[in-house]
Amino acid sequence: MRGELHYDAVVIGAGTAGLVAGARLAEGGARVCVLAKGVGSTHLAPATIDVLGYAPERVTSPSAAVEELVAARPDHPYARLGFDAIAEAVRWFSERVAAGPLPEYRYVGDVERNILLPTAVGVLRPSALVPETMAAGDAASRERVCIVGTRSLRDFHPALCAANLRRAGVDARSVDIEIDVDRADQNSLGLARRFDDPAWRAAFAGRLALKLQAHESVGLPAMLGLRDPHGAWSDVQHRLGRAVFEIPTLPPSVPGMRLYEILRSTLRRAGGRFVLGAEVVSCDRDGSRVVSVATRSAGHDAHYAAPWFVLASGGFGSGAIELDSRWATHDRILGLPLRGAPEPGAPRFVSDYLAEQPMARVGVAVDGELRAEGAENVMVAGAALPGAVPWREGSGEGIALASGSHAAQLVLARSGAPAGAAA
Amino acid sequence: MATLSTDVLVIGGGATGAGVAWDAALRGYDVVLVDRADLAEGTSGRFHGLIHSGGRYAVKDPDAAKECIHENRIIKRIAADCIEDVGGFFVTTPWDDPAYADRFIQGCRDTDVDCEEIDAAQALREEPLLNPDVSRVFRVPDANIDVWKTVWSMARGIQARGGRVLPYHAVVAIHRSGDQVTGARLRGAGTGEEIDVEARVTVNASGAWAGQVADMAGIEGVRVLPGRGIMIAMNHRLVNTCVNRCQMPTDGDIIVPIRTVCVIGTTDEHTEDPDDHTVYESEVDKMLDDGEKLVPGFRQARAMRVWTGVRPLFEDAKASDTETRDVTRAHALLDHAERDGVQGFVTITGGKLTTFRLMAEDTMTAVSKHLGDERPCTTATEPLPGSEAGEHYHLGERLSRKEARLADDQLICECELVPRWKLEEAVQRRATTNLDDIRRLLRLGMGPCQGGFCIYRATGILHGLDGLTAEQADESLLHFLQERWKGVWPILYGDQLRQARLDDWIFQGVLDVEHLPAAIPASQAEATAS
Repeated sequence: MRGELHYDAVVIGAGTAGLVAGARLAEGGARVCVLAKGVGSTHLAPATIDVLGYAPERVTSPSAAVEELVAARPDHPYARLGFDAIAEAVRWFSERVAAGPLPEYRYVGDVERNILLPTAVGVLRPSALVPETMAAGDAASRERVCIVGTRSLRDFHPALCAANLRRAGVDARSVDIEIDVDRADQNSLGLARRFDDPAWRAAFAGRLALKLQAHESVGLPAMLGLRDPHGAWSDVQHRLGRAVFEIPTLPPSVPGMRLYEILRSTLRRAGGRFVLGAEVVSCDRDGSRVVSVATRSAGHDAHYAAPWFVLASGGFGSGAIELDSRWATHDRILGLPLRGAPEPGAPRFVSDYLAEQPMARVGVAVDGELRAEGAENVMVAGAALPGAVPWREGSGEGIALASGSHAAQLVLARSGAPAGAAA
Repeated sequence: MATLSTDVLVIGGGATGAGVAWDAALRGYDVVLVDRADLAEGTSGRFHGLIHSGGRYAVKDPDAAKECIHENRIIKRIAADCIEDVGGFFVTTPWDDPAYADRFIQGCRDTDVDCEEIDAAQALREEPLLNPDVSRVFRVPDANIDVWKTVWSMARGIQARGGRVLPYHAVVAIHRSGDQVTGARLRGAGTGEEIDVEARVTVNASGAWAGQVADMAGIEGVRVLPGRGIMIAMNHRLVNTCVNRCQMPTDGDIIVPIRTVCVIGTTDEHTEDPDDHTVYESEVDKMLDDGEKLVPGFRQARAMRVWTGVRPLFEDAKASDTETRDVTRAHALLDHAERDGVQGFVTITGGKLTTFRLMAEDTMTAVSKHLGDERPCTTATEPLPGSEAGEHYHLGERLSRKEARLADDQLICECELVPRWKLEEAVQRRATTNLDDIRRLLRLGMGPCQGGFCIYRATGILHGLDGLTAEQADESLLHFLQERWKGVWPILYGDQLRQARLDDWIFQGVLDVEHLPAAIPASQAEATAS
């Protein structure tokens, strides 16, 4: 076809799963192109690496709890991936963060023990790996904490956060600090850009220091810089002479944007191509294989052909999977069969908001290798997979990392690229 | 136990009851207005927001049409600030009997409903999403009304004249002394505290619940047949004019643009229980199909929320042996002195929101006679507090206010443009921790994200005010989250499901509210759909 672009693999979706799959394919020597309609869920999520937080009780050690989950739920993505694949993907991720574009920025933690970090409402939430800028919030540290906010940031309420932390047994108090802003509707992104400015954060730290007491660490909304968060965080710690930690709050997520930048840069540095604003609108098939996909972008449609595709387009949240007004579910990207939807006529949702919703586990039907049913050259990764409720069980990044890695490794193995290159 | 003494006790804080109390206050009577829940939380707060021109009844019920247009003109004046004067179209779609249009225009002439036929092409220029196959279009003076704003304006006016407004006070007993009703006992919903109200006249303005209240007074045969109707709010204004099918009134034939959304309605199904808010999937399907007929592509648009309301359709079981004072076919005023020989008790029920002022006037004119000093009604000329300038609300009002104060006017709810100072003021004024009460005042959380962003913000602000404990704040957050979900889940599909999933990530992923120390008990999760 005229104007058709050829790759070894095409990845659809630029969330964590898609970027990991693309980066690892590129590192393995494949010519890869990542197509995405827009940025993925990184910009919405806290950017902690959650492997398993609740099962359904709070999980202390993901490694032990994953084994139990797999035994209880053979339809869960972890059952197909296995714990070793999760641990390997998490290790790969830690190394790529360390080698990434944000100087000295690190993730800390491991899959053996969950860290309990405060949320913006003051709940202690379990994560396996966390940005270094959040690590001092670990409830196990038993430090006295001072939660700091500003009226200018409507997305973070320090007094409520501290009050709920006290209820959870943390010795917490809160202070408000005035900052000069030109408009009232600030979000954490706007403030993060200011924290990238050393003079601004020095002035901030100077004002905050006056309000602090001895022997307390400081919790701030996650806004300590975008370009050089390690530098901003270390600088604020140094100026305050104490541990400082970030607390994730409402979107847009500053640590999520850092995560996106790390993964995007890893993909690009390994030679992968990345096309944002390219919505996949149709595909060509040859029997049980997808031959090419077409994207709609400014000016013209483009066709991308490849022997392998990785579908990492997300679930209902991205719009890749749709429930229509006649209550039928569809994969809107490749039209693949789905699994996990309630039977017609059965409840789709239930009246208790916090209960598990019957529609929650829908995803693209896959075989034991996480290949799409009915499309032998399509691997499925991330939130497009059926069987999980990542926002409830705290498993989103674990699934994304492990399934994105798995997809890359399977494609590399099957297409005869240099062995071991992806490891 | 606390006791109150008043001239007029009004039971029922919907538009009618608040209207009666406002009318009483303007006539100079002392008045107490009570409701078991918040004001306008029942039928009044559960309709589509249409102020009828009367066109809908021009053929079927000319008396109702005359009443509607008469009240339409008054209410646009006295409640100007609560009204958006969007106008209305009656359109003949391919599914409507073309002969009806001529009967319609004649009916409008006969009933004084302003009606002008316009070119279908002109209508499509004004409403580009309207079905292009409409053959005839008539312009009428429909409008929309913010009921909560209207009712709370009246409540403020009542309080300013010394009256007392007691939401969340259920009537647990009606006191009788022989043939005289002497008042009622109330119980506060939160506190459980009881209050005895001694009243010279008690008005039962409880709408679909009027039979239950009359029973408490020992009066038989006040039978109200609740007629359940469903409404669906779409996430934006597919039309900017109230669009009605030009046919005999039936289901799903009106789309009303109101504030940031538009609402399609409705159905009419008899139900035994006025508190039955079941949403049936078949009704949802039918409503979406009806929407397609007026606005092709309706099913692909984003349905945000569904709810039901109950009309009070009055049937007097005693009509054969006692003359009822059926003022019109539309509403029923029962003077129980004449009907049952019980003094000091009057029931007003039936009717429609457009005519609430007239219902209140009729009621207070009867009550005034009982009080022995007939005083004139002034509700047709006295503007509600806030409407003195006589200017209608317009859609850009909140945005223009915001644009003028970018530096210090922090938005808490972006969907509905609710600023922080408004929220703080409303919380102080209502002295409530229930964010759903605040929603009715400010439309907080009523837009496309259904509270995804504002619930956390509002909770944080609430917690900062007046020494609220974390337990109370958490309870408010979880309660409001559950209240928003109540109208979302029975109609969750398409882009609204995407939105709901983002909200799930915020509440269950980022904030992890499920693991707050005070998680909402499952029993509080009210079942509303089958």
